[in-house]
Amino acid sequence: MKIGILSCDHMHAESYVESLKRIEKVEIAGIAEENEKKGKDFAQRHGIKYFRNYEDILSDKSVDAVVICSANAKHAKMTIDSARAQKHVIVEKPIATTIEDAQNMIDACRENKVKLMVSFPVRYAPPVRRMKEIINEGKLGEIIGISATNHGTMPGGWFTDKTLSGGGAIIDHTVHVVDILRWTFKSEVKEVYAKMGTLIHDIPVEDCGLISMKFKNEIFATLDASWSRPKSFPTWGDVTFEIAGTKGSMSVDAFAQHGIMYSDRIQYSKYVYWGDDMDYLMLKDFVKCIEDDLQEPVTGKDGLEALRVALMAYESVKKGKVIKS
Amino acid sequence: MRVGIIGAGGIGTVHANCYKNIPDAKVVAVADIIPERSKKLADIFGVDPYDNAEDVIKRKDIDVIDVCVPTYLHSEFVIKAASAKKHVLCEKPMALTYEDGLKMIEAASKNDVKFMIAHVLRFFPEYIKAREIINSGSIGLPKVVRTYRGGPNPAIVREWYGYHDKSGGSIQDSLIHDIDFLTWTFGPVREVYTRGNVFKRKEPFDPEYDLVMMEFENGIIAHLVSDWSGNQRTQFGAKIEIAGTDGLVEFTSFNSIPLKLNLFEENKGKAESVSIPESPLSPDIEPYTREIREFLESVEKDSQIPVPAHDALYALKVALTCIESMRVNKPLEVKL
Repeated sequence: MKIGILSCDHMHAESYVESLKRIEKVEIAGIAEENEKKGKDFAQRHGIKYFRNYEDILSDKSVDAVVICSANAKHAKMTIDSARAQKHVIVEKPIATTIEDAQNMIDACRENKVKLMVSFPVRYAPPVRRMKEIINEGKLGEIIGISATNHGTMPGGWFTDKTLSGGGAIIDHTVHVVDILRWTFKSEVKEVYAKMGTLIHDIPVEDCGLISMKFKNEIFATLDASWSRPKSFPTWGDVTFEIAGTKGSMSVDAFAQHGIMYSDRIQYSKYVYWGDDMDYLMLKDFVKCIEDDLQEPVTGKDGLEALRVALMAYESVKKGKVIKS
Repeated sequence: MRVGIIGAGGIGTVHANCYKNIPDAKVVAVADIIPERSKKLADIFGVDPYDNAEDVIKRKDIDVIDVCVPTYLHSEFVIKAASAKKHVLCEKPMALTYEDGLKMIEAASKNDVKFMIAHVLRFFPEYIKAREIINSGSIGLPKVVRTYRGGPNPAIVREWYGYHDKSGGSIQDSLIHDIDFLTWTFGPVREVYTRGNVFKRKEPFDPEYDLVMMEFENGIIAHLVSDWSGNQRTQFGAKIEIAGTDGLVEFTSFNSIPLKLNLFEENKGKAESVSIPESPLSPDIEPYTREIREFLESVEKDSQIPVPAHDALYALKVALTCIESMRVNKPLEVKL
């Protein structure tokens, strides 16, 4: 199977390409990136071919699928163009910056009979899969509420340009946790209340966000989506869940499988993660769903619903009240 | 690849569950002298249980024997399996004595079969990562190492562990993991010195606690803790810390548990909270699965086995020297 990378705006492209290399039978068509310096460096770093225009990858009949890692606002056009060129798509999260774009992407992929998967790798972290299993087995009884975090460091670059990103910390970090909760409970979010602000960094988008939500099944959850980890923090951030149920409780730290390193060469301490590579597990599943013609493990609709919650959070902040869907 | 498992106790069960995730391997027989145990594992694969290991070794349609019996039976069954021209994966520690270990290697080489001791620590992702960090140069040259391995006294669940002439005690049974990892990573050992209570223990359930100091030929020094002092409620754990000329790296199982489940349970009318830690990994990197998979691959491809038998024999030699040092209360050189 031949897979091309469209853009490396998003840093996840780095680990996706390395993961793809490890998957048997996958051949990498190359990286298409309009920023020539960035694209050529990327191509050189990973030993793959460079294209300036992504159309050159799409016009290659031997390419089966693409991984889209452009800035959020560019996902829609690239996805629709790829679908029309009969390429299966996995697109970086959030699926898009508007519901309309997301819906157009879903429609285009459906009409052209190609797969559309949204990149939610956290679903592939074994601790998170195990968490879902424990909850679905009913071990905790009825779930009451969840306190979750998806912290990060401030990524800078286009992430702070609203026209390209659609927003700051909230749009960047709400979708993962919302996706995990929707997937686990098979229920949609019906109410959102949010607080946000540009409180830590001097940037044009919000760097802090707290979201309180309620699902149709009455479970409530909060999420801290802030880019509040300092540059000196020992890792990129976290994904955690504290879950209270009627028969017990559970705490999950998706990336706790790490050691710690202190090195005089970098002058600060650093976590050394040794758990599973969730990007690799996700891309393996993407390849499998194409090969065996299965339903996408994460659908465009999953991406759209997660985006909807982030947008509800922005609306809540704007109006200063609880938003109901 | 057709596999027969001999010994359906703790590690036999762990291995059996791994084979479920190795599509190229087929478990075709399970043996244990306790019929309920062999039946329980055999049922997983829908195969016949045996109460006699030799009947499994005899079967013509088996390529690999996975030896999961207690330590004092290792050499006997490995030699029998090798003599029947079966490739052999055998639990650590290799044997009770160095001479037995040598005989096992000789039997395997005489019969031209693959023979690996399951030193699974080499497949633990955090220990693999430790080696990567060392090789990356981020901590400079490694100089001082500390390891810990311990938890509940295993004799509480399986009494044979409590008898020195059956298990070799905590150093030979448990610390050998760290000994093998360190000798694999840092090379041969010059000297060991051990203080511990092995020779003061009276009953098989008495706790064992041993502290080992080790100097490697390259000057690295190490301190190893082997702790069988816990009760059934003690959490098992392991640590490694490597300090170098430019930094330090540490991995502590207690601090890297991603999932903690707390269940409220009724116990004699009193509500109790039971805490269950879990550290799930995919079969890709889950260490026991990976160990078996890589061993079977080396059988399939007739390539070098991932843990050379002589490495395991050397680890055994170091472990035995550690115990001897405690007995004579003297630092001892490791001499082959």
